[in-house]
Amino acid sequence: MSASIELRGVCKEYLRGAATLPILEGVDMDVPAGAFQALMGPSGSGKSTLLNLIAGLDRPTRGQVTVAGTPIHGLGDGALADFRARHVGIVFQAYNLIPVLTARENVELPLLLGSLPRAERRKRAETALRIVGLEGRYDHLPRQLSGGQEQRVAIARAIVCDPDLVIADEPTGDLDKKSAEEVLLLFRKLNRELGKTIVMVTHDPAAAEAADTVRRLDKGVLQ
Amino acid sequence: MTLFRLALRNALRNKVRLTLAVAGVAVALLAFVTLRTAVGSWDSAAALARRDRLVTRQKMTFIMPLPKRYVADLRATRSASGASLVAEASFASWFGGRDPARPNAFFASYAIEGKSYFDVYDEMHVDLADVRAFEDDRSGAIVGASLARDMGWKRGDRVLLESPIYPSPDRLPFAFTVRGFYESAGRSGDEKLFLFHWERLDAALPTSQRGTIGWIVSRTPAGASTDDVAAAARTIDAMFAERETETLTQDERAFTTGFLGMASAVMDVLSILSFVVLGIQGLVLANAMGMSVRERSREYASLRSMGFSRRWVARLVLTEAALVGALGAVVGAFVAWLAVGRGLAPFFERDLSFFFPVFRVTPGTLALAVGVALVTAIASGVTPAIGTARARLTEAMRRVA
Repeated sequence: MSASIELRGVCKEYLRGAATLPILEGVDMDVPAGAFQALMGPSGSGKSTLLNLIAGLDRPTRGQVTVAGTPIHGLGDGALADFRARHVGIVFQAYNLIPVLTARENVELPLLLGSLPRAERRKRAETALRIVGLEGRYDHLPRQLSGGQEQRVAIARAIVCDPDLVIADEPTGDLDKKSAEEVLLLFRKLNRELGKTIVMVTHDPAAAEAADTVRRLDKGVLQ
Repeated sequence: MTLFRLALRNALRNKVRLTLAVAGVAVALLAFVTLRTAVGSWDSAAALARRDRLVTRQKMTFIMPLPKRYVADLRATRSASGASLVAEASFASWFGGRDPARPNAFFASYAIEGKSYFDVYDEMHVDLADVRAFEDDRSGAIVGASLARDMGWKRGDRVLLESPIYPSPDRLPFAFTVRGFYESAGRSGDEKLFLFHWERLDAALPTSQRGTIGWIVSRTPAGASTDDVAAAARTIDAMFAERETETLTQDERAFTTGFLGMASAVMDVLSILSFVVLGIQGLVLANAMGMSVRERSREYASLRSMGFSRRWVARLVLTEAALVGALGAVVGAFVAWLAVGRGLAPFFERDLSFFFPVFRVTPGTLALAVGVALVTAIASGVTPAIGTARARLTEAMRRVA
């Protein structure tokens, strides 16, 4: 199962004192289920804001956001948290692993939201780590891993609940070229072999080439 | 992995901070237990006083004397049934003696009647030979075993005492000879008294002041009920109501409560202070928790992005605060039990036994300390927990992404 994404007339504004600061203006966007799209654009163009709206981390000021058939623009905090737990896996530029947990425990974390027994959680975490090529690193702490390996643990954590949609915000931004290529290869594998819908924000044209489609955002307007 | 294990790992993350936080809680708990034990022990002085013993004093104030002949009148008094109103009666006067060589050594010194005093205070055990030696020597003294140990006094030693209340006619200190020691049975006993003959004091007074005593102590007949004791007190006071000096008679517990009540405000302050100490500990812990949570705001935001609710994240922070508090409480309770129970208790019970006859850390005090420390610790996590849970996810994510 993968997710389709539909954005209609999405606007996002922030208040800065008395002034209103528009970030996104009337964005319409369609991402078919199973697609791998890259979002590019200069800093401040609204890429991360758009990603946050798709991931259910924020709500639009106006407009509609529908992901996997669920209109999420009007959901409350609790419902949005449930939505993220069931449908979205997120990969960050800085990995955001919990430093005191092993790779397996980090990957196991999202499974705490379900009712799986401990042994099953462990098994699924190990499976996710195997998918990203980290068998044998289950008990390593993040500080004992390279940057590329840490990002792969983060990807394993993002997919361990088998989400429809994987959101990646500059996933190769902190990695060397070789590690970045490995991570992008992994995203392609997730997209093509497991059918995950992937939306990735990147500054790197080489990284964007890994996607099927590249969309550009400039001053809050999707090209 | 569970919420508890994650909270535990977070708590153990910064060893120095954890050690300081636990030490802070432990020290606060030690102070709390010490103060609570002192307050409880103070109350125990009254609780341990006997109900079958009566203290008769001048009605208006304890420091005014009574005529000595009241003692004989009291001994001769019969109850309605014709039996003696009291089984034993004796008296004493506060001397306020100080050893001029050791002016900072505080102990109570009473001028007493002699053997009758030990009959009323039957928990004071004195060798018969010592009593005889005391009776035979008008300058003799019977000294509490604990006081004798502290002062290094032995039988036959000459002890000089001077009194700010009763200066001797020749302006020289009163000279006494230690004739024996008493030991107290039971926890209520005070082994810090210096007792000597009332006649010795009386003889040193100007003629106009002779024949007065400080207070009368008496013991009701065995088997007397509380009502009997109260009735005896009323009878005694009624007997002296029309005399030149009116009396107030109370059972020993009421008398001790009234005497200690003069310092009850100090105890109230100590009681309040004990909780203030834990409150300060809570603020220190809140600061430590606040720092920890601020440093991990990226991680909490990351957890919420995975789908963990605000409430779950708040529980994670509170659980960590509770764990730090619990660790501090356990360490503090053990240290308090050791330091107060083994260190301070012998000192208080030996040197301050009149005020703190039973200076012991009770399980109730420890349980209260641990409970209050835990509640304070959890409360210290409330502000950081609410702050983390309420933070706008996208703002926290900006620091993340």
